[in-house]
Amino acid sequence: MAYTPQFYPGKTRIAENRRKHMNPDVQLEKLREIPDDDVVKIMGHRQPGEDYKTVHPPLEEMDLPEDYVRDLVEPISGAKEGHRIRYIQFTDSMYNAPAQPYDRARTYMWRFRGVDTGTLSGRQVIEMRESNLEEIAKNFCIDTAFFDPAVCGIRGATVHGHSLRLDENGLMFDALQRYVYDEKTEHVLYVKDQVGKPLDEPVDVGEPLPPEKLAEITTIYRKDNIPMREDTELISVVKRIHRARTLGGYMPTDEIFKEL
Amino acid sequence: MIEVEVFPHRYLKAETTEKFLNEIYSLDTVERVIIHGQPLPKTVYYGPARGTPVNHSERKVINVHGVPVELTVMAGRFWITLKDDSEIDRIEEICKSLFPFGYNIKVGKFTRDKVTVTDYIKYGERVVNMMDRSLIGLTDPRSRFESAVKIIPKEKGEEASSKEQ
Repeated sequence: MAYTPQFYPGKTRIAENRRKHMNPDVQLEKLREIPDDDVVKIMGHRQPGEDYKTVHPPLEEMDLPEDYVRDLVEPISGAKEGHRIRYIQFTDSMYNAPAQPYDRARTYMWRFRGVDTGTLSGRQVIEMRESNLEEIAKNFCIDTAFFDPAVCGIRGATVHGHSLRLDENGLMFDALQRYVYDEKTEHVLYVKDQVGKPLDEPVDVGEPLPPEKLAEITTIYRKDNIPMREDTELISVVKRIHRARTLGGYMPTDEIFKEL
Repeated sequence: MIEVEVFPHRYLKAETTEKFLNEIYSLDTVERVIIHGQPLPKTVYYGPARGTPVNHSERKVINVHGVPVELTVMAGRFWITLKDDSEIDRIEEICKSLFPFGYNIKVGKFTRDKVTVTDYIKYGERVVNMMDRSLIGLTDPRSRFESAVKIIPKEKGEEASSKEQ
C-alpha cells in the first residue's frame, strides 16, 4: 500500500478507541475466556462437537472453470472446506457499549477476510463461513474488550433495546430475556441462544465491566462522557465531507474544493 | 386534579414496581396510576424460535393492596393522577427511597380527560355520557378493559384504577 491508513479522524479518547478497534495491528485487551462449546451453544447453528455441514465439496476436488481471480485471491479455510454460511448478530446499548454498529462494520472489514456484514441502527450482523465465524466470534467479538456482557447482547431476532434505559441490574433491556443477572455471583448468564430457544445449561459470560471502565473504552460520543462537539478535528472532517457531497456531488469543479 | 410523571432512570423489576405501587396507593390524594413501559411478550413472536414461551422473570402477578395485577410491561414511567398537590413531597420521598439510581419528577398534564371522536365511535354516545370520567383515556382500541385496567379499592370506599400500557 502506498499510504499508511489513518483509520479514523479525531483527537479525543473516543476517536482513539475507534482507531484501536479498526487497526488490525492492535491487540484488544482480553477480558474473559468463554469455552468454544459455549459460544457454539449461544449461536445455536449446530450442536457442540457436531461436524460442520457443507454446501459444496472442498474447492480442491471441484472442477471449476479457469479464472485468474481465483488464482489471485486465497480462499479462507471455511470456503476451502465448503462450510455453510452462518451468522451472529450483536446489539450494543447506547449506554457506553464498547462498540456500535458502524464501528463494528469498519472493524470487521479492516480485520477479517471473507466477511459479509450488515449495519442497522440497533444491530449488526456478520455472515461468514461457519468455522471461521465461530473462531472470530469467540476470539475477537466476545473474549476481548470489544464486548461487555451487560451492555452488548448476542441477539439473532427481536433485538429491541439498544436505545432504552438499562434495567436495575445495569443490563440492556431484552424482551426475550436471553441473559439474566445472577445476583449471587454477579455474573451474566445466557439462558437462551441468540434467537430465544432455551439452552440446556446456562452459559456464564462473566462479570459486567464497571461503568468507569466502559466510559473509558467506549466508541460512542455522549454528552455525559465525551461529546462529539469537543472533537474539533472530527467535526472539521465531517463538515468537509458534507460540503464536498452537497456542493460538489453533481458538479465537482475545482472551485468547490478550493477552500476545503 | 393534577398529574405527576415519575421517570426512574432504570427500568424497574417487578418487585420494585410492586413496592412503589403499594406505597403510592397508600397516599390519600392518589386517584389513578398509569404504568408505562416496555411490553414483555409471553411467547417469542418472530424468528426461528417463534412460539417458544419466553418466561420473562419480570412478567408476573404482583399484589397491590390485595388486588392481583398482572404486569405485562417492564415499568419505566408512571403517570399519577392526584386530587391536589399536597402530597407531592411524599411521592418524592418514596422515589428517593426506592430509586437509588435516580429519577425525574414532573408535574403537568399527560393524559386526556376529554372525550374524543374515537371514544364516541368505539363506545357510542350513550356509554360515553354515562361512563366514569376517570376511565376516559384508559382503554385503547387494541387492549381489553379487563386485562389493562385494575380497580384498586380504597379504604374509604373510593376507587382508584391502574392501567398498563
